[in-house]
Amino acid sequence: MSRALGFPLRFRSLAARIVFFFVVLFALVQLAAFVIVHAANSRNARANIEQDLAAGELIFKRILEQNQRQLEQTATVLAADFAFRAAIASNDRHTVLSALHNHGTRIDASVVMLVSLDSMVIADTQHPTMPPRPFPFSPLLENAAVSDKASGIVEMADGQLYQMVVVPVFAPVPIARIAVGFLIDDKVIRQLHELTSLEVSFVARRGSAPWRVLASSIPEELRPTLVQGLPRDRVRGNVAFSLTMDGVEYTGRLTPVAHQQNAEIVAVLQRSLSSALEYFNKLGGTLLLLALATIAISIVGSIVIARGIVKPLNALADSARKVQDGDYTTALDIPQQDEIGALATSFNHMREAIAEREGQILRLAYRDSLTDLPNRALFQDRLAQALLAAKRARSPLTILLLDLDRFKYINDTLGHHVGDEVLRRVGARLHDALRRSDTVARLGGDEFAVLLPGVSVDGAAELAQKVLHALEDPLQLEGQAIDVGASIGAASYPEHGEDAATLVRHADIAMYQAKRGTTSFVTYDDSFDQHREAHLSLLGELRRAVDQNELHLVYQPKIELATGRTSSVEALLRWQHPTRGPLLPCDFIPFAEQTGYIRTLTRWVLENALAQSAELHPGKRLQISVNVSAKDLVNAELPAIIEEVLRTHRIPARGLCLEITESGLMEDPGKGFKTMQALRELGVSLVIDDFGTGYSSLAYIKNLPVQGLKIDRMFVANMETNSRDHAIVASAIELGHHLGLKVTAEGVENLKQNELLRNLACDEGQGYFFGRPQSARALRSSLGGHEVRIAAGVVASVE
Amino acid sequence: MAARRFSWGNALTVLGTVALLLGPIPAAGNSISASVRDSAGGPVVDAVVYASPTGGAAQGRPPRNAVIEQTDRDFIPFVTVIQVGSAISFPNRDPLKHQIYSFSPAKPFEIKLYSGKTPPPIVFDKPGVVALGCNIHDWMEAYVFVVETPHFAKADKNGAATITDLPAGRYRVQVWHPDQRSDAAGQEISVGPKATAHAEFAVDLITRQRKPKPPFDPLNYGERLPK
Repeated sequence: MSRALGFPLRFRSLAARIVFFFVVLFALVQLAAFVIVHAANSRNARANIEQDLAAGELIFKRILEQNQRQLEQTATVLAADFAFRAAIASNDRHTVLSALHNHGTRIDASVVMLVSLDSMVIADTQHPTMPPRPFPFSPLLENAAVSDKASGIVEMADGQLYQMVVVPVFAPVPIARIAVGFLIDDKVIRQLHELTSLEVSFVARRGSAPWRVLASSIPEELRPTLVQGLPRDRVRGNVAFSLTMDGVEYTGRLTPVAHQQNAEIVAVLQRSLSSALEYFNKLGGTLLLLALATIAISIVGSIVIARGIVKPLNALADSARKVQDGDYTTALDIPQQDEIGALATSFNHMREAIAEREGQILRLAYRDSLTDLPNRALFQDRLAQALLAAKRARSPLTILLLDLDRFKYINDTLGHHVGDEVLRRVGARLHDALRRSDTVARLGGDEFAVLLPGVSVDGAAELAQKVLHALEDPLQLEGQAIDVGASIGAASYPEHGEDAATLVRHADIAMYQAKRGTTSFVTYDDSFDQHREAHLSLLGELRRAVDQNELHLVYQPKIELATGRTSSVEALLRWQHPTRGPLLPCDFIPFAEQTGYIRTLTRWVLENALAQSAELHPGKRLQISVNVSAKDLVNAELPAIIEEVLRTHRIPARGLCLEITESGLMEDPGKGFKTMQALRELGVSLVIDDFGTGYSSLAYIKNLPVQGLKIDRMFVANMETNSRDHAIVASAIELGHHLGLKVTAEGVENLKQNELLRNLACDEGQGYFFGRPQSARALRSSLGGHEVRIAAGVVASVE
Repeated sequence: MAARRFSWGNALTVLGTVALLLGPIPAAGNSISASVRDSAGGPVVDAVVYASPTGGAAQGRPPRNAVIEQTDRDFIPFVTVIQVGSAISFPNRDPLKHQIYSFSPAKPFEIKLYSGKTPPPIVFDKPGVVALGCNIHDWMEAYVFVVETPHFAKADKNGAATITDLPAGRYRVQVWHPDQRSDAAGQEISVGPKATAHAEFAVDLITRQRKPKPPFDPLNYGERLPK
């Protein structure tokens, strides 16, 4: 990624840093080596130059000396030539001159002069006509007088340089001297140059006048530069100097060659640094090449090494990124056996472990651990996906919500392990009954959901039947057959909703509809939801109702059938809704139960019923029955609340009877048990309401701390005509009595029912036959007449 | 060096011989005894002392011939004094040839290479110094000092020279030596009858290195010569 971002960021990469480090290191080392070697070379070169100069100077001097010796020898031999001496001795000017010339030519002399013993030049081959004059190089003569011969380098009047040799002419005593001069021209200089490997020049000056170049191996055009670069001081002994000519640096030394009067002749020996440095520069070049090659190799090498490190690291990073993105399938392939290889192996292990753990987590997150079916989250996810697909394909989709009937009962009576097994088996059956493309999920508890892609609202019923059919066969568990029924609610896209939440809600509503009704399968209908919406809107209204006294209680008496006396009254809640008119509890209690508002309502009912109890029957207290929701029983504070309310109104506990519906109890049989126990200990009477609708078992009822049961009005209503219902009522009464419970029949509407119940020894009756629910005030005024009316009824029946 | 010492030694021996030969001649008469010293006080061997009568020419005497022989590649003697008109013969005693030349203005001559038979003597008819050399042996050197007077003598190894048989009179006495820097000042001496006059002379000499004489026959040539 950083690769695309250019150099500054690239530099952050490990590879770049490694390469940079090594290359810089090598470059520095090479540079240092180069500098050191170069400095040493330079020193060596200069030392070499000094040596060369010293050696060259030695050679130069030796050559000059040898030259002189040789010339002296030659001149001596010449001077000893008898004929030559004879010619000299002849004193004939022409003879002398021609002899000088002739013999001079023999030895390649440039000039031969005859010098008399009194130092006069008598004859001169260069200037044959010149009259005698003093010999200009008297020091030579002086030397020659001592050792018979002398030589030196002189500048002659022509401005040229000569090696001048003076030897005597013996006859056999010295009769004269000859001075033989050999021109030192550039040719001679070149020979010197070749022999010494130095640039050789002879320069001269008079006094402090500028140097003049007499002869030199240096090209003509550079000579002015040479002259300017020479030291100005008088030359005594060797003088070192350096100068630059034509961009070339020279080092050299001056060696005095001759000194006549105030004129100096100096040999200039010099050597160009560049020629001396040439070898070292070549060496430097080689070093530089070597350094560059080393750096290049270090670049390549460090890149290779860095790649070796970074490539697997990048692979690791890529792999880590894949893992981050959830791809656990790509294994790292790093065959290296080093630390990186070990890291890659560990990384692979880690990746596999993560994959496995994520699989587990996913299972935990999306699978129901009991049935291994998708859970609610996965169901919702799949539903959302399926909805998207359905919308794209313009195809229908149906969901079923399924709730097992009587599951709590199975759980409580046969144990949780059986309950769990039931859930597993049901899940398996559902799964087997449907297509693979369908999703069966367990939403929680005994609630399942089925996602049916492509199934329209018309096909929903068929599939629901298929599901129900799959559950028809009893489950064989621990040697007993267990019947499992289910209520199914269905909702289809697009008819019942466009989004997942709506569809689930509507299926839920339909399922409750099915549970409430007689059929096991209900397809959602908008009317359900309007009802439900009405419920929902009630929440705010219900709160307002409590605050603004829209609620009131009505009372319905319970009659002791044997005597016809009112034994107790049941407080019934009514809501005078400002717009909807009077509402019955069944219109708002389920909603209150769902929202938890039931607690407030129950308390309100308790407070008001007990407060009004005194008005109901002055002097003689009637037991007041109050309906308590199964949800109230979950509230552990209920006994304390009741105790407080009783104390407030100074009513003994036996004056209060709590009615709990059988179905409410059966929804969660274990939960309310403790509370009921506490209430019972308080002395409050407990009664099972709507008995016969909740499928409670005898074993269950046996253990409940209740004193009575109320037979549901459904059975009473038809007992006169339906012998079955009659039998049910009879057996319920008998059962109650066997359990020592007071049995009350609800919905007694006529005398016949009254008679039948009395015959069946039912303890109490309640219904329109005995009195409609009425206000406390109305009840109070009419309470006295009850017995009359009943009596009248009795009478009537008697009649 | 050895060669030179040998040479000098040889020369002295010869001188000695000459002295013996000359010694008995002035048995009686007037004489001048001169002592010649150099500037350091050392004796000046071979210095020539000659006396010229101040009043006119000397008495006529017949010239006396002299001999300069070549022995062991040297001229013997080194210095020879003769009166003008005398002749010198040059016998070669060596088993090899010698040449004799002179470029001196007083008597230039050349005797070509010879051996065995002595060539005819050379007559020196002008006064002056005649330097002799051998063309093939550069170190060979001899001087003939030709004077006009018959009265002369040559210093011995002690620097002593005695001129005998001088007629009484006044003489100008002079000294000459081949190596002298310049002519020494002469002295006028009167010589009485039967008397010996003494004179001291100081000569300023140039230190000259003679050419070395190589050992004889370095190629062992001499061994093969008939003895």
